[in-house]
Amino acid sequence: MSVAELKERHMAAAETVNSLKERLKQRRLLLLDTDVAGYARSQGQTRVSFGPTDLVCCRTLQGHTGKVYSLDWTPERNRIVSASQDGRLIVWNALTSQKTHAIKLPCAWVMTCAFSPSGQSVACGGLDSMCSIFNLNSQTDKDGNLPVSRMLSGHKGYVSSCQYVPDEDTHLITASGDQTCVLWDITTGLRTSVFGGEFQSGHTADVLSVSINESNSRMFISGSCDSTVRLWDTRVASRAVRTFHGHEGDVNAVKFFPDGHRFGTGSDDGTCRLFDIRTGHQLQEYNQQHDDNEAPHVTSIAFSTSGRLLFAGYTNGDCYVWDTLLAEVVLDLGKLQNSHDSRISCLGLSADGSALCTGSWDSNLKIWAFGGHRRVN
Amino acid sequence: MSLEVAIVVEDAVEYSFAMEYHGPPITRELPRAVPINVDRIPVASVVSPLPFPDSLSLPVVQPISAADIIGKKLIKDLKLSSSSAELLTVSPTSVIAFESQNNEVSEGSYSKELGLGTETSVSPSSVINASVESETENRSSNDICALSGELSSDFECCNRDDVLSGVNERGYSSISHDEFVGGVGSSGVLESSDSFEKSMEFSGSLRKSRLSGAYKETLDFNESNRTDWESNESVLSVDYLSSRVSSRKFGDGNQDSGGGDVRRAPVVTFCDIESDDENVDDDYSRSEPEVVRMKKEPAAKVRKGACYRCLKGNRFTEKEVCMVCDAKYCNNCVLRAMGSMPEGRKCVTCIGYPISELKRASLGKCSRMLKRLLNDLEVKQIMKAEKFCEVNQLPPEYISVNGRPLYHDELVMLQSCSNPPKKLKPGNYWYDKVSGLWGKVGQKPLQIITPHLNVGGPVKANASNGNTQVYINGREITKVELRMLKLAGVQCAGNPHFWVNEDGSYQEEGQKNTKGFIWGKAGTKLLCAVLSLPVPSKSSDLCGEQISSSISRSMPDYLEQRVIQKLLLIGYSGSGTSTIFKQARILYKDIPFSEDEREHITLVIQSHVYNYIGILLEGRERFEEESLHELRQHQSCDGPDGDVDGNGEETPYSIGPRLKAFSDWLLKIMASGTLEAIFPAACREYAPLVEELCSSVAFKATYKRRHELESLPSISSYFLEQAVEILKPDYKPSDLDILYAEHVTSSNGLACVDFSFPEPVYDGDDSGDLHDSLLRYQLIRLQAKGFGENCKWLEMLEDVRVVIFCVSLSDYDQFALDGDGNRVNKMMLSKKFFENMVTHPTFDQMEFLLLLNKLDSFEEKIEQVPLTKCEWFDDFHPVISRNRSNSNNSNHPTLGQLGFHYVAVKFKRLFAALTGRKLYASAVKALDPTSVDTALKYAREVLSWDEERPNVSLSEYSIYSTEASSFSH
Repeated sequence: MSVAELKERHMAAAETVNSLKERLKQRRLLLLDTDVAGYARSQGQTRVSFGPTDLVCCRTLQGHTGKVYSLDWTPERNRIVSASQDGRLIVWNALTSQKTHAIKLPCAWVMTCAFSPSGQSVACGGLDSMCSIFNLNSQTDKDGNLPVSRMLSGHKGYVSSCQYVPDEDTHLITASGDQTCVLWDITTGLRTSVFGGEFQSGHTADVLSVSINESNSRMFISGSCDSTVRLWDTRVASRAVRTFHGHEGDVNAVKFFPDGHRFGTGSDDGTCRLFDIRTGHQLQEYNQQHDDNEAPHVTSIAFSTSGRLLFAGYTNGDCYVWDTLLAEVVLDLGKLQNSHDSRISCLGLSADGSALCTGSWDSNLKIWAFGGHRRVN
Repeated sequence: MSLEVAIVVEDAVEYSFAMEYHGPPITRELPRAVPINVDRIPVASVVSPLPFPDSLSLPVVQPISAADIIGKKLIKDLKLSSSSAELLTVSPTSVIAFESQNNEVSEGSYSKELGLGTETSVSPSSVINASVESETENRSSNDICALSGELSSDFECCNRDDVLSGVNERGYSSISHDEFVGGVGSSGVLESSDSFEKSMEFSGSLRKSRLSGAYKETLDFNESNRTDWESNESVLSVDYLSSRVSSRKFGDGNQDSGGGDVRRAPVVTFCDIESDDENVDDDYSRSEPEVVRMKKEPAAKVRKGACYRCLKGNRFTEKEVCMVCDAKYCNNCVLRAMGSMPEGRKCVTCIGYPISELKRASLGKCSRMLKRLLNDLEVKQIMKAEKFCEVNQLPPEYISVNGRPLYHDELVMLQSCSNPPKKLKPGNYWYDKVSGLWGKVGQKPLQIITPHLNVGGPVKANASNGNTQVYINGREITKVELRMLKLAGVQCAGNPHFWVNEDGSYQEEGQKNTKGFIWGKAGTKLLCAVLSLPVPSKSSDLCGEQISSSISRSMPDYLEQRVIQKLLLIGYSGSGTSTIFKQARILYKDIPFSEDEREHITLVIQSHVYNYIGILLEGRERFEEESLHELRQHQSCDGPDGDVDGNGEETPYSIGPRLKAFSDWLLKIMASGTLEAIFPAACREYAPLVEELCSSVAFKATYKRRHELESLPSISSYFLEQAVEILKPDYKPSDLDILYAEHVTSSNGLACVDFSFPEPVYDGDDSGDLHDSLLRYQLIRLQAKGFGENCKWLEMLEDVRVVIFCVSLSDYDQFALDGDGNRVNKMMLSKKFFENMVTHPTFDQMEFLLLLNKLDSFEEKIEQVPLTKCEWFDDFHPVISRNRSNSNNSNHPTLGQLGFHYVAVKFKRLFAALTGRKLYASAVKALDPTSVDTALKYAREVLSWDEERPNVSLSEYSIYSTEASSFSH
């Protein structure tokens, strides 16, 4: 077969794929008779209302000297780890707002960090294409720096996101700029499985975020610059279980819904979306119309424990609280007192759901929680 | 007038406090305070010119509290005001009169202002409590707002003074000096106590008559204050002997006449200095932040002893103090008020402001309360932040060396030298650059520090206030030193002038021969210890190189952040960025590669060599077949006879069966792509075989024809020549091997190396070089593979100063597959990548340096392959002189040079078209260390040009230096 002939056939195949995709899209649209908001309204749901003290900034965690890029809460205790462009990981006590560890990283360009389920160690990754694990209990060296306890190397591009497998301190999933996700065994430091990459069902651009299903830790989703989200089963590395189309820009953030059957996404197209992993359908789009044509990108999202609220951070410093049922913005943290001065780059909800932490390019983290006095009847 | 009245009343209050303090405990402590005033007071007059309209609003807050008190207590006395105003003027002057005999009349008016200033600043703490309940607050505050600029400016001064403690230059040379030393001048103390008593009497009596009302009201405070104060005193006096410190301390929450008096002195001093400087603008701008800060203090209107936040508690409850504004918080509130303490114990609102100099000694010393509230880790972090964060560092202008306040880089140099002054505090120092002797002005040497540091001015003859007429390096030495010299056997008859070097060798001025070594004898060191004179420390023997490396090690974080300059090295794959990166590590690092890295690199190199051998063997098979074919053809031509020895037919490319087996095995391994997997076992096992192979005729013959093997990289010959050595199990790669090896940089993505250019050879007093050696650079290398379509993460590199873009010159006839699978000239790919980078928003306005790499192979190649092979260069028509052989000797540039200039211009035009700016370009041979060194130094030059450009003065560093220089006028 000559090269020209091959090319021709490739072109034809690509065309077929596109037309099939288009048909699929049409078909989906046909099937979708309503969205969440429409149904909720028809059922007479009313939007969540916020009192002035229901969500206030009650702590400001100052200490970073560069943009904060990522944060993560411990599952149990009220601790937060944050990663910043000053080349440091800081572990905070959210209650006292004090630092307990400041870890100077060998590579300052860190993009993500994660707390282990036991709270004993933290992981981080960045432009050095490594995922570094620090054991918080290990002895500091003579300069007062915490030594790296494990380097997970094998990615061929930057590590954009990492998350521990729930209840397992020894397994971790990373997303990388080399278009793959990797499940690591931390004890050996080796790759257990690689998702994507040379396989056709993998992402076709940098993977930016991962989220593991809390109720079924075998399933995880990944969001990518190819504007798709893929659902993976850790036992089947060869192909994605499902691919979710819909976004028109890079998918910057993905997060499982608390029940594990749905997930939310945030994208460069300025929208957040809710997908169902069982049907593969998009359930709802959360889009705030802006006067100017440039919609701020969504940088990070988080769900409340009940799933009724969706917190979304935007590049313009806004942080909307969406009512997931009615698709309405019920609060904008960016407009409240003591809000961040710059882009919200990351946010996360504490394990008990009582507090929200936001990290920003203004180098601060803020903790938002109920700030009033409860009336005792 | 009403304002003034209020203030007057305040003054009265203070004085009444003084009366209270007549009690025994006070007298002991107070005397120290007074010395401060001695000469400085006249200067106060300068203060009056200060009033700026702008300054008005800022300082007002403090007065409010004062006014409040007044308003509350003394509203009834308002009518008194006119008369009390006179009083007011009296009291400050009286103090002055006692302390300095040459008091001028004109001061009357100024001193009045001063008085105002002091009172307002002092009063808040005590006053505020009283005012808490008062409704008159607002009213009085309004009044105060109406106050003239004078008041506010005064106000600033006093505030500043609190913070500064030992300000600068002339102003404080004599006075503050004493303060810092502790109880240095005994005579001064005596005097002061006298004057203090007098002034107290004076003011006290005056006050009493008029202000009894106010006085009574304040009584209860005083009592409580006193106890507080006493306790403070006992604690504090241990730490700092200066009176000012203690006064400042009780100024927090307690007030009394002693405090008032003591405070006034510093205020005056300060104003003095400022006025002397006649640098009003600067002064104002500098004091502004402090004013803002001080404003916060009264904002929390607090009863004495109470917590500033919850307003509960009394003086007995344990509290944490803000290092900046002195606000105190109880243990319930401290975490809320101080937040996450990114700079140590400061109120949230005080973050970013310099700490009060009086509290410097307590930096990093944790209180019991915090330890109780927080766990060890947290406390450790806070204390670390407090000690090492940048704002809490000693401000350079508070340290004056040889009569000149330091600039920032001078202080850095001083602190980071191999033998820095110990426990550097604000003050006036002299420094003998030749011998490294260091001491406080007016005193004998304290220490011998690293010599030849370019800090401060030249040492003055009277620096140590000696009167012996014997000079060392132009400084008249003290009696103690002279005694030491005599005992050390130095001839001191005839008032000689000595030159003493850092090693202790001395010679008489104007003579050449060294007369001896002062510290040469063992006894001398003992003697010095007895006389508490310094001796050179051992570390001063360190040679220059070690010193420079110690600089890099001892550099604290905050300095590192400031001085590090980031250079980003990028280029299309194969452009030689990794070689330049490795070269930089070898050039500038003591240990370019760690053991682990070397081990890894060894493996990589060995597998490469196997790979090369494999390629050669593949080639060998081909050549063998070819030559066999040829042979057969030849034989068939020759006729059937030739077939006879057909079985034994030998070509130069045939190998024995054993080697053949090895060759087949290796080729199989390579084909399956698992070459890396066989290491390191293969090395041990096959080393002898490889040796045999390499010495075989067939292999050598193939090697000769290696240029015909396209897949064999040109660099392979370097390794194949020494293949036998490399494949031995105990092979250790040399730096050169590493440099030549491909794909050895372990990191896939970004790699960085910190370095500083080695210090140039010391030649005279060239200060610029010293400064340069402090600058540190970080070379960041990124692989082109990582750059996707929209690399969002490039914004992480926005703090890079220069982008060094690397292009391989010899790429012009090479082809590679681009993303769509098309065969594209590599130079065009480089160009495309260059365009992407230059137009990336992150690199907007960034300086670009183009390095045209592989000039050596380019020069060779261009003789054979025309440059026009690349479509971008199709208009390259060099004029070449006929007699090429002479071209090197004559002025005619070689074809290679012409080609390089042509390509550089092409890129420059492209850059200018894209950005409208200038592209710096340089040729480099990455394998040649000096060439890389030159290129990186060129990058440094680009940086310094960038800094010199006026519009870049916004960068942090240059702001700092301009500020410092303007201040030092």
